Amino acid sequence: MLPKTSPEIGGMGHSVKRKEDLRFILGKGTYVEDVHLPGMVYGQMVRSPYAHARIKAVRTEAARNFPGVLAVITGQDLEKAGLSWMPTLFHDKQMVLATGKVLFQSQEVAFVVAEDRYTAADAAELVEVDYEDLPVLVDPHRALDADAPILREDREEKTNHIFHWEVGDRKATDSVLQSAPVKAKLDAFFPRCHPAPLETCGCVADYNSATGKLTVWETSQAPHAHRTLFALVAGLPENNIRIIAPDIGGGFGNKVPIYPGYVCSVVASLQLGRPVKWIETRSENLQSTGFARDYHMTAELAADRDGTLRGLRVKTLADHGAFNAAAQPSKFPAGLFSICTGSYDFATAFCEVDGVYTNKAPGGIAYRCSFRVTEAAYLIERAMDVLAQELKMDPVELRLKNFVPADKFPYQSPLGWSYDSGNYHAAMNLALEKIGYRDLRKEQEDKRQRGELMGIGVSSFTEIVGAGPAHTFDIVGIKMFDSCEIRVHPTGKAIARMGTKAQGQGHETTFAQIIAQELGIPVADITIEEGDTDTAPYGLGTYASRSTPVAGAATSMASRKIREKGRKIAGHLLEVNEEDLEWEPGKFYIKGAPGKSKTIQEIAFAAYTDLPPGLEPGLEAVHYYDPPNLTFPFGTYICVVDIDKGTGEVKVRRFVAVDDCGNVINPMIVEGQIHGGLTEGLAIAFMQEIAYDENGNIQGGTFMDYLVPTAVETPNWETGKTCTPSPHHPLGAKGVGESPNVGSPAAFVNAVVDALSHLGVKHIDMPITPWKVWQILKAKGVAE
Amino acid sequence: MAIKIEKTFQVQEPLDRVWKFLSDPRKVAGCIPGAQVTEALDDRTYKGLIKVQVGPSVTDYRGEAHIALLDNEKHEIQMVGKGQDVRGKGSASMKMTGQARALPDGSTEVVTVSEVNVVGLLAQLGARMIQEVSNKMFEEFTRNLRTQLQQERLVGTEQSSTSGTAPQPQPIKAVPLVLTVARESAGRLFRRIFRGSGPR
Repeated sequence: MLPKTSPEIGGMGHSVKRKEDLRFILGKGTYVEDVHLPGMVYGQMVRSPYAHARIKAVRTEAARNFPGVLAVITGQDLEKAGLSWMPTLFHDKQMVLATGKVLFQSQEVAFVVAEDRYTAADAAELVEVDYEDLPVLVDPHRALDADAPILREDREEKTNHIFHWEVGDRKATDSVLQSAPVKAKLDAFFPRCHPAPLETCGCVADYNSATGKLTVWETSQAPHAHRTLFALVAGLPENNIRIIAPDIGGGFGNKVPIYPGYVCSVVASLQLGRPVKWIETRSENLQSTGFARDYHMTAELAADRDGTLRGLRVKTLADHGAFNAAAQPSKFPAGLFSICTGSYDFATAFCEVDGVYTNKAPGGIAYRCSFRVTEAAYLIERAMDVLAQELKMDPVELRLKNFVPADKFPYQSPLGWSYDSGNYHAAMNLALEKIGYRDLRKEQEDKRQRGELMGIGVSSFTEIVGAGPAHTFDIVGIKMFDSCEIRVHPTGKAIARMGTKAQGQGHETTFAQIIAQELGIPVADITIEEGDTDTAPYGLGTYASRSTPVAGAATSMASRKIREKGRKIAGHLLEVNEEDLEWEPGKFYIKGAPGKSKTIQEIAFAAYTDLPPGLEPGLEAVHYYDPPNLTFPFGTYICVVDIDKGTGEVKVRRFVAVDDCGNVINPMIVEGQIHGGLTEGLAIAFMQEIAYDENGNIQGGTFMDYLVPTAVETPNWETGKTCTPSPHHPLGAKGVGESPNVGSPAAFVNAVVDALSHLGVKHIDMPITPWKVWQILKAKGVAE
Repeated sequence: MAIKIEKTFQVQEPLDRVWKFLSDPRKVAGCIPGAQVTEALDDRTYKGLIKVQVGPSVTDYRGEAHIALLDNEKHEIQMVGKGQDVRGKGSASMKMTGQARALPDGSTEVVTVSEVNVVGLLAQLGARMIQEVSNKMFEEFTRNLRTQLQQERLVGTEQSSTSGTAPQPQPIKAVPLVLTVARESAGRLFRRIFRGSGPR
């Protein structure tokens, strides 16, 4: 148990109001768009209307001659500088500006720089490109056909196949599936979706020819990694590169990769010696930057007649678009998809994934997800319902029967993970109680008699977050540790700098709460700074729910280093041996004499004014934390829907989310994260898809077609929690940002399928639009 | 994006007059908002141009149209065309068949089926938007057609258009068109909501 701090100190478990919110609410934040530098000019991208076409000529004269235009950069220009291609974050490369041919609609072809953004936009219209269209490959299932066009002429391997990856025991799983008395099979497509953060991507690149320093203000979730990549790719000395990620309006994985716009801005600034600003439009963001999912999955479950699970076999086709620009740890081509055995105690499992190229935007980023965990959770939670339907068993009963029991942790999964802790029955039972499950089933039965459509969907997900241990986890070679540096000032106030970078998560509050918990310095007295690579310690950034498990642990460890130094100072001040001192948040006191104490503020002052002999002055510490394992948050979500037989509209009547993310830093922030993630899950389940037509035209490239939920569409979320601390995290915390987005899609879909299961419906692919439901109702003869 | 557009309209003119008009690509082009035939490569193949205005920028789509079938007995015409935006912003291809028949009251009915394949910015507007835009274009086309036929009858200029100078075409204003369409779609949506009837 962690010691409880006072509300004034505001350590772990206090719903401290977010320190950063005042400046956001008052419009006093500084986003990339707010950066204005003297002499700054603007860049505009020219993009391809074709999904696959040969570039015969790029004519830039008209644009160059347009008044106010300073430069037009083409792929050929970059080729001369050796910069027309750049490495992606995952063993591939991608074009910065196209040369030879374009591979997806909206691909970057030229970059126009002008005195103001309107001139740049007008001049971009004047860039004339001759294209010769080529056969387009949209369907990933056709990517490996003999007659499919080979998209990547730059690669030695003349195939659209990117990788094959497998884990588990194929033979044993095949044999279990062959002999099992009951089998269930699910083909599910997790559509291509997009994080669509409130703020699009952008940057200001400023090269100072006098100092040789390049400063880039950038919408980056991982500023340090970007600095290193810029140094490696552009050949600039890393000490002369400063990446500043200012306030960011949402990232969700979309702002992890390096985009051509950043590189072009840097090149233009180097060329012109002036700061260059480039800000994406909404459509550019939706059409060309990191998408998520696009997984075509098949799950087969083997079970005994009583519902005991025996094996799981998963086969997946991953559509990566034109370049494999997945942002994920380098040893995991399908991310942490092998968490697909979920919360269930499988003896045997096998999982294989094949990645292919298509004429679509590149990516495969982890949208509010720890690298393909959303896909995995959706697949297993959906498949469990298919099996329940097959067995004519209540889906809750099936889950309860097969959960990994609480006494089996740490649990070794058949696909290689060691789950740190869990109590799945507890989370499920609380959710059942909160929603009144038995009564709802009775109500459903009554409604069916009357011909009304009501469904209940359950999802009991297990997450895997906090990448990750250095022995297995790196991104482009850099180990996935994270860091914190704390300085306590003489007056007892403190500043901490982190290797992470918040995009709305509330780090300025939660990391301060960790320090408050460990040192007893009030939250109000602590400043948290992130995102400036010149001042912050090196870290891999914020995504994959890794901030609390990794940087949060680093913060805790750095605080403890300060506390241990404080113990020496307190002993000196109180004239006793260190061993005779006891700690409570905020002060050391002499054992048995609580009145004789020194506060952390007194200790801080003494660190600069009255030190014991031989002790180094100052009160600072830095810690780089390499987590021993990942953390495994979990939960049970239950959703109740009613379906309108006239319109096909699905109304989410109730939604209960019980989450267990171990010890909680700030309950209010956790609840906010869960509300946000559930709303994004709702959008994915019912509203959103980046679809392509047969010519590779994007059909979800504007907010006309890619819908974002508003308060009108969003139901009331009911939350609850159980607490199973992580045994290896210094604070017992696990990370929570993604859980609601990972766990909820299956709950929504399960509820809709449950409402229609008596009509013979077994699965519906997302997004479940009213049109899709109405067509089913019509086919089943129940539409009104 | 491939879409199929089927349209039927009537003209208060006799079949032979309508057919004569419809089988002359220059005259037909004169009725398509923003379109112009620039050159006849042979008696069945023409080069042409359509100006489309999206926001402040006017884009020229240049291409070729070929009459694949011209049946003066059945009054049937089949045309295939392909055009590319001169600045490389996209392209469109089309296969269109038109058939005219006399109605008992002396007027003429024209049935057209067009299969249009669009690539680029326009295709991103989504199938339903293009459908609505083409509806609008078609409305304008039939209005122009009727007016032209009427004028020809009144002033007796019923002659081949090759001798005359074609007027400078006005660009199709895609944005105002889209806005009108959006307004109409929204209007329909609201009516639907308030009536509480079926889905889109």
